[in-house]
Amino acid sequence: MGHTISEKILAKRAQKDSVKAGEVVVCDIDFAMVTDTRASNTIKMMSKLDKDALQFTQNTAFVLDHYSPPPNLEAAEIHQKMRNFSAQANTHLYDIGDGICHQVLPEGGHLTSGDLIVGTDTHSVTYGAFNAFGTGIEGSDVAAVMASGKLWFRVPESVQIHLNGELQPGVWAKDITLYLLGKYKAEGLNYKAIEYIGSAVSKMDIDDRMTLCNHAAELGAKAAILEADQKTIDWLSAHGSKTPAPVYADYDAIYAFKDQLNVSTLAPQVARKHHVDDVVGTDQIDRQAIQFALIGTCTNGRLDDIRQAAHILKGKKLAKGVRMIVTPASRQIYLAALREGLIEILTSAGASFEAAGCGTCVGITNHLVPGNQETVISSANRNFKGRLSNDEADIWLGSAATVAASALTGFITDPRTVAGGSWRNI
Amino acid sequence: MNNMLIEGTTFLLGEEVNTDINCSSKYLPGKDSEFVSTVAFDKLEPGFAQGVIANGGGILVAGKNFGINSSREQAIHVLHLMKIKCILAPSFGRQFFRNAINNGLPIIECETSKIQAGETLKVDLQLGKVVSNANANEINFTPLPQEILKIIQMGGLLNFIKKHPDWNFAA
Repeated sequence: MGHTISEKILAKRAQKDSVKAGEVVVCDIDFAMVTDTRASNTIKMMSKLDKDALQFTQNTAFVLDHYSPPPNLEAAEIHQKMRNFSAQANTHLYDIGDGICHQVLPEGGHLTSGDLIVGTDTHSVTYGAFNAFGTGIEGSDVAAVMASGKLWFRVPESVQIHLNGELQPGVWAKDITLYLLGKYKAEGLNYKAIEYIGSAVSKMDIDDRMTLCNHAAELGAKAAILEADQKTIDWLSAHGSKTPAPVYADYDAIYAFKDQLNVSTLAPQVARKHHVDDVVGTDQIDRQAIQFALIGTCTNGRLDDIRQAAHILKGKKLAKGVRMIVTPASRQIYLAALREGLIEILTSAGASFEAAGCGTCVGITNHLVPGNQETVISSANRNFKGRLSNDEADIWLGSAATVAASALTGFITDPRTVAGGSWRNI
Repeated sequence: MNNMLIEGTTFLLGEEVNTDINCSSKYLPGKDSEFVSTVAFDKLEPGFAQGVIANGGGILVAGKNFGINSSREQAIHVLHLMKIKCILAPSFGRQFFRNAINNGLPIIECETSKIQAGETLKVDLQLGKVVSNANANEINFTPLPQEILKIIQMGGLLNFIKKHPDWNFAA
């Protein structure tokens, strides 16, 4: 009987020949991450343990990303606490403006194929883009990892989703993840580990692969993992990662179910207000006006996303009354966008740039509050009522290209109707 | 194992309850767990927390995906303050499920549609059985793995780690 990628990674880290779904195992952790929203709780939990017992700090990163820069004294004090703890315990530290945890971990060479990575954020599933098992945890978990280098897991059932065909120009991984949310519904794959395979995945660049895995958090997935290929190996090598140890599923691995989707005919998708799984094609939206256009977050704040926006808005202006904010996912991305001239293109069109970080994703960070009865189109991952601290505003979700196209027209717009040319070589 | 038998009055909530919104200070900045424990779930059912507290605690019974989309461990600290002894639901948000175990709160995946508010239930974590005093109805569930029961029994993950830094569940 064969095994899935998740089972193989967890078995190896548990020093077992094999594990099966449902079993509880204790695994060695390769790297752990703590963000500023969960740092206070994590430090509180760690204070319950003997400080001398903290063995794992050199494989832990503290990331100041959600409150970047800190909008109030409370956030500033959390950051001070994190800097102090990090200096004493000798952890890695990514300060404000360095970027979002899920971007700076791979960019910093902290993970590689075959790794088991944990972080205090649901979107830690992003690391699956590199053939690592990444999953979200909380403060008690991190404290246990810091003390012992290990953590318990219930081995998840895996599902295999075969993405056939090739995305059409102007259609992106975000359109696939939104489509799948419409199909399976939010939390529809709760507890499961998703393996995405197929020609559409092979053809995706790393940025889009990260989106594909990242958004699995909204499906409730415990992990979302891709096979490693030459693109993966080359990217990891370029970012100074440890030597990859790619893990592949056995041909006779056991899955809870298998599914497939031919992406060749997929149109750009949007999630309508309040519900991430209320998803329709942009062609089915009739003149839905928007006032705010947001590009950024761990789902779609990468260089390819900013390129898409620049491709659409080059030499043009935002529609009257529309405001647009771009938040690069990391300082490296910010710099790359600067060097490519993308920031000049978008700023000239009327967009504004924020310091790299989580930015406009969630209202608790006070980066942005839309007005009453305003509609936001965002490249983020969540749109429930009040996500941006105003129950009287609506949030719709789409790809970065859909956000930029909508900012151009003032209405939710299929990006293919406003930009042609070669999207792949923007 | 000790404390594997739980008895209490049932308090009901619906499906898809987000505990970040309803049982944490994520959207109530500056408020502590003590405060949240007096208003938790008020948006769904006004006076819910007060009812539980007035009863001296109880067993929380919910519909599917309880704790959906919520990551905050604080929700469990709040439930402890409300003296919730156990949570029953057909399924839970993944992180909520972990947090309950890590903080020593018994959490059971089982069918809950026939459970009424205000019943007295007996839950046997070891045998995987929920029995209602009123109508002798019995709900069976797959008991949690022994390792998880051990963490719960010791009052949570950090207590376990302090006692067993080598993760020896057999000890």
